This record gives sequence, C-alpha cells and structure tokens, in this order.
Amino acid sequence: MKNVLKKSVLTLASLGLAASVLAGCNGDAEEAGNADEFKGKITIWDGPRWPDKDDNKYHWLEAKIKEYEEAHDGVEVELVQVPWAEMGDKLGVAIAGKSWPDIAPVDISGSSVSIDHIEQGVIEPLDAYFDKDAKADFYENALDAYTYDGKMYGIPNAITLHSMLLNLDLFEEAGVTPPEGGEWTYDEFLDAAKKLTFDRDGDGKTDVYGFSTYVLPGYYESWPFFYKNGGSPLNEDMTEFTFDDPETVQAIQDLADLKLKENAAPETLGGNDVGGTFQAWANEEQRTVAMQPWATWAIGAAQGKYPTNFAVANYPTGKSDKPVTIGGVGGWVMFHQDEDANKKAAVADFMKFISTDKEQFVMAQNYGIFPARISASEMDPFKDNPEMTRAMEMSDQVVMLPRHPEWQKIDEAIQTQLQLVFNGEKTAEEAMADAKKTVDELLK
Amino acid sequence: MTQIPMGAVPKKDNEKLKVLKKPNKNVFLQMKKNYSAYLFLLPKLILFVLFVAIPVIWAFVLSFQEYKIFGSEFVGLDNYIKVFQSEAFLVALKNTLLFTVVTVPFSVLSALVIASMIFVLGKVSQSFFRSAFYLPTVTSMVIIAMVWRWMYNYEFGLFNYILGWFGIEQINWLGQSSSALWALIIMQCLIPFGVGIIMYLASMGSISHSLYEAARMDGASSFKQWLHITIPLLKPTTLYLVLLSTIGSFQVFTQIIMMTGGGPGNATETLVHLIYKTGFRDFEFGLAAAQSVVLFVIILIFSIIQFRVLRHDE
Repeated sequence: MKNVLKKSVLTLASLGLAASVLAGCNGDAEEAGNADEFKGKITIWDGPRWPDKDDNKYHWLEAKIKEYEEAHDGVEVELVQVPWAEMGDKLGVAIAGKSWPDIAPVDISGSSVSIDHIEQGVIEPLDAYFDKDAKADFYENALDAYTYDGKMYGIPNAITLHSMLLNLDLFEEAGVTPPEGGEWTYDEFLDAAKKLTFDRDGDGKTDVYGFSTYVLPGYYESWPFFYKNGGSPLNEDMTEFTFDDPETVQAIQDLADLKLKENAAPETLGGNDVGGTFQAWANEEQRTVAMQPWATWAIGAAQGKYPTNFAVANYPTGKSDKPVTIGGVGGWVMFHQDEDANKKAAVADFMKFISTDKEQFVMAQNYGIFPARISASEMDPFKDNPEMTRAMEMSDQVVMLPRHPEWQKIDEAIQTQLQLVFNGEKTAEEAMADAKKTVDELLK
Repeated sequence: MTQIPMGAVPKKDNEKLKVLKKPNKNVFLQMKKNYSAYLFLLPKLILFVLFVAIPVIWAFVLSFQEYKIFGSEFVGLDNYIKVFQSEAFLVALKNTLLFTVVTVPFSVLSALVIASMIFVLGKVSQSFFRSAFYLPTVTSMVIIAMVWRWMYNYEFGLFNYILGWFGIEQINWLGQSSSALWALIIMQCLIPFGVGIIMYLASMGSISHSLYEAARMDGASSFKQWLHITIPLLKPTTLYLVLLSTIGSFQVFTQIIMMTGGGPGNATETLVHLIYKTGFRDFEFGLAAAQSVVLFVIILIFSIIQFRVLRHDE
C-alpha cells in the first residue's frame, strides 16, 4: 500500500514535471520529449558521499535510483561508482571516446568539463525542462555558474567556499584571542600568525607555526589572500592579465613573506602536499599549524574523522576592506544525447528527481555543502552546526573564478609561478611578470 | 640422444633454413602449411593490432588534426610547429634528457655490479638476493613513489632526519627547483634495476668457464677477468638493457604525477607528463599526439645511436 502511495505521488510529480516542461519549453514540445514514454537505461556517474552504517558511501543515490525505478516501469538507472580523485580523468577519457554517461556531477568550469566542451555540444542545455519559476529557486550565483551564452547547462546542486579554520586549542596555548566574529584585517592576521609560531618544548626549534597552505594548479585555498587589495587574475572582459598590478603583487608577496621574512609559516608553505598540509592542522598527533584555509568539506572532517576544537573565520581584509573568498558550484550535467527526445526528457526528469530541495537539504546536512536552492537553505540545514552556519554567512563574500575557455592553462601559468614565489626563487613581481607573458598569449 | 657438434646444424634443419632464406613465392600456401603456428600467434596478434598497432597509427593520424569531439579538422603540420615553439615542451625535453642521461648509465652499471656480486654466491644466497632485488620491479611505482615522498618529507622524512644527525640543515627536497629533479633522479638510481640484474645473471651463467680458466692460467686477477671477459661478453645484454632503460626513462611519468606534479614551477616537468596534461587536461589530443610522435622519434634516434655504439661485433 505504502509503495502504491509512493508510486502515485511520484507519478503525480512526473505529470507535474511534464506540465512544467510543456509550460517551460515555449511550444518546443518536440525537443523536450516525454519522460513517461521512455523505456531503457540511464547511466549516472557519482563519487562517494557520506557513509551509512555499512560504510557504503553511495547509499543515498542507490536509494534514490531504487525509488525512481519503482515509479517508472521499464526505466533502469545504472550507477557507476567513480572515486572523486579519478572523476576528472575518467570523464576526460570518456569525452574523448564519446562514451560519456548520461549524467555526471560536474563543475563546468572545472578540470574535466570546460566551456570548450559546451561549445562543442558535449553538454546538453536544460532550458526546455526548467521554466522561469523553477529557475528562480536557485541562488543567482549558482545558476550563473551553470549558465553559458544564456542557456542553462546543469542543475546546481551545491555551493562550496573557502574559509579560514582556526585551531582554538593552539590559540589558547599561545594566548592569542581569535578574531571577534571571525573578522580581521591582514595586520591582525599577521600579528596572530607571529604569536602562534612558537617553540613548545624549548629545544630551540619551532614546534607550531601560525599559518600554512599549499599552491597547486586547480586549488584556490590561498587565492583569497591575493584578492585582499582588490585584485583579480583577469580584467572584466577577460582580455588582460591583471594579477601583475602592484596591489596584487604586494598581496602575494605579503603571504609569501609570512614564511620568507616573518618565519610564521613552515618551509612547506606554498608546496604541493595537500594531504600533508591538512594533517599538519587536523591530525591530533601533529597539530603543528594553527590556521589554514580550506574548502567547506574540511569543516565536516574536523567535526568527524579529525575531531578538532576550531572556529571558522573570514579571510583577512586588505586595502579593499572587504573580505573575499573563492567559491565553487557543483551540480549535475546531462551529456550529449542522440536524437531520442524522450530519453533526454527522462534523463532531465531523473536529474530533477535527485536535485529537489529535500535532497539538497539532506546533502547539506550530511555532506558539508551549502544548498544551491533557496528553499533548501530556508529549511535551515545547519541549525545545529555553528561552524557551517558561520561558513554559510560567507556566501556573500564569494568571488567566482574567471570563466575563460583557456582557464586551466591560465591557472597553471599563474600557479606554477606562485610556487616559485613561495619557495623564494622569484619575487612576486618577477613571477607575475613571467606569468603575464604566458597568460597574455593565451588570452589572444 | 644424438649429440650435435657445436656450430653444426642437422641436415633436416639446414634444409629448413634454406627454405626460410628463400621464401616461397606463394606466401599464402606457406601460411596454409604452417597454419597451426599462425593459430597460436593469432590471439596475441589480434590484441597487438587492437591495442598497439591501431592506437599508434591513430595517434599519428591525430597529430595532423585539431581534435574536436564532433568532427576533427586537418591542420597539416600546425601541431608539430606548436610542439617546437612551445617553451614547455623544450623545458620538458631538457628535464627528461637530464633524467635519462644520469639514470640510465647508473641503473645499468649498478645492475651489472650487483649481478656480478650475486653471481659468485652460493645457490641459496643467489636466490635470496635475486628475489630481493627483483621485488621493486613487481611493486607498483605508485607505492614506491608514496614511500619516497615520505622519505623526502621536509619535516618527518628519513633523509632530513639523517641529515639532522650531522647537524646539516633540512632540505626541501621536492619543494625547490634546484633539488626537485635531482631528488627524482636519486630515487630512480636507488631503485634496483631488477630486470637488469636478472638478465645479467642469466647471461653470466652462459659464459663458458673455460675462458675464465684460461685467464686464470695466464695469471689474470678476478677484476681483470671481469673487465676483459665478463663485460665484453655481456655486451648484447648491456645493449638490450640500455635500450630498455632509455625507453623507460624517456617515459618517466608515475613518479612525476605522484610526487611533484611537474613543479615547483616546471622544474620536474617531463615529456610524458606534458603529453598527459596536453591530452587529458587541455583536451588538445592533436597536439598531444604530435608530442607523442616527436617523443617516439627522439627515442628512436637514441636507440639507433645506442645500437650502433654498443652492438655486438661478430
């Protein structure tokens, strides 16, 4: 009986979807197709999420698939489990061989799928399946991240951002007061970093450093520091490299000098060891760094696997007086479908089925991300989680990275030069002047 | 059992050899005659064609195209021009050459020395050391790279710990341009060349004892016997191993992606890592294919040079 009821509800939901499709497609019914008429297989790739009691990290999507298949006779949804670390490479190979899945969790400005792929038709637009009202439930910046040339190329699922994580035990040990309300200037941050660098056992060697992070293509934990004086890597119309302006150069040099001049950061500041950097902050046996910037997943880790007494703070402000952080938006995209309009509609139907406000609420609570839907946020998923609530308050500080088709190459040109600044081989001015030569070539 | 004097070929086999030297004009007839041999070869041949020959030919074709998901475009030699105009390629080539020039002689020479030391041991000890030195060959390079990454760790690594005993300041092995590539070279040199050791041991076993006996009677020391008998007679094996390790060194990849990602800056960028990035990060498969073809030509040239220098004089 319960199943029948569930089935009825889902059928009604599907009918509602069909109606909204017809309403949203402005008479383009042929393109939108009819999800209910599709019989066949839909393939979805996903990475591990939060575990259930059996440590199955795919249980959420498996349950959703089961629910969907029960409500749609003749539709089979195949889940391909792909570790996150392999997702980019596997998608890259799949795209090259035109053997892509129907759905995958992809940030379209990320490493595996780029604007260039959208231009080549690898990603399907979803406008036929979302009317204006349906789109209105998404945060504007989330929707923007999946919009290109006026079309919607994915369903935003989650917003992530970077924040400063402060180890409060080390603050207490060094007698440093954490910034009030998590707000501070760079001078205050520098002062705290110096005081948090200390020799615990009196052997003449530093045991705890104030700050550390890494510099690596594709990772942006350190970048909000470079924006503190109002800089950005490219100008607004993305025709010119602007990380070489004196204010940005100063911001980069300031952070590198934390190690090179102030000795308030370990030698590994600006290195490429992501795991090692995190362990230095979170691992109970190490705890050799008091402050590190991380994406929001680290908050979940510090509340779970690596229990840490910590606080979330803004990135320190510079001459612009505005705190800035780099954000990202994750979501589901539909890969190119052949001419079967009904399958396209069914794939879109399933994507919507796993992206409802309820699902985003569940994911926010369990997976440490911020919902991309306003209605899901309004359900207050973090009411018992002050750290996530604090991080969520930083949403209005988010700056998105430039969405240039050559961004990955531009990013590499900048980050490889930044590495040389942090290991003291070049000054920020020299490094950014060298980066400019490469980036300006790419922008031509 | 009939004893066959060395150098002699049985009459029947001799006739077969003549047949091989003058191939039958009707190839198909001959194939039909030896169909059972071809049947045994067929599975491997199919796999070779599918997974080696076709991808190689396709890569060559791709190198003249700008790859697009839906319909690539022929661009002539544009990709090759880009390869040689690219500063990144030249840096990667320079790094790869340095890596190869240092690691290949060291690996082959160390394999020769280790094999020579093992060869004089008793059977049990020989088996033990043979297995011990071959172990890294059957161990995943990913695992080896992870262990070495730890050994090079600035704060907790083994090397800096040892340096500390002598009061020497810690080195940021993988974090400085000046040391990162050398750290990878040292790692490569210190991983025993297992295949080389096994092959040298096998080749040493086939050297006639009479040569050493004659040398001893002439008063040659052990070192002179090694220098003037063992090494010259191992020349074909050395040639093979030099070729093998040169190809392997030119294709160095796992250590790079696991330990440095090509950095800091581009201090450890190598050709195959660059090809990987061009293909699977930038999706410029045409350019990546052109880089691969250039790498193939470089390896080919090196192989021909090595073959001419080291070939066994009959």
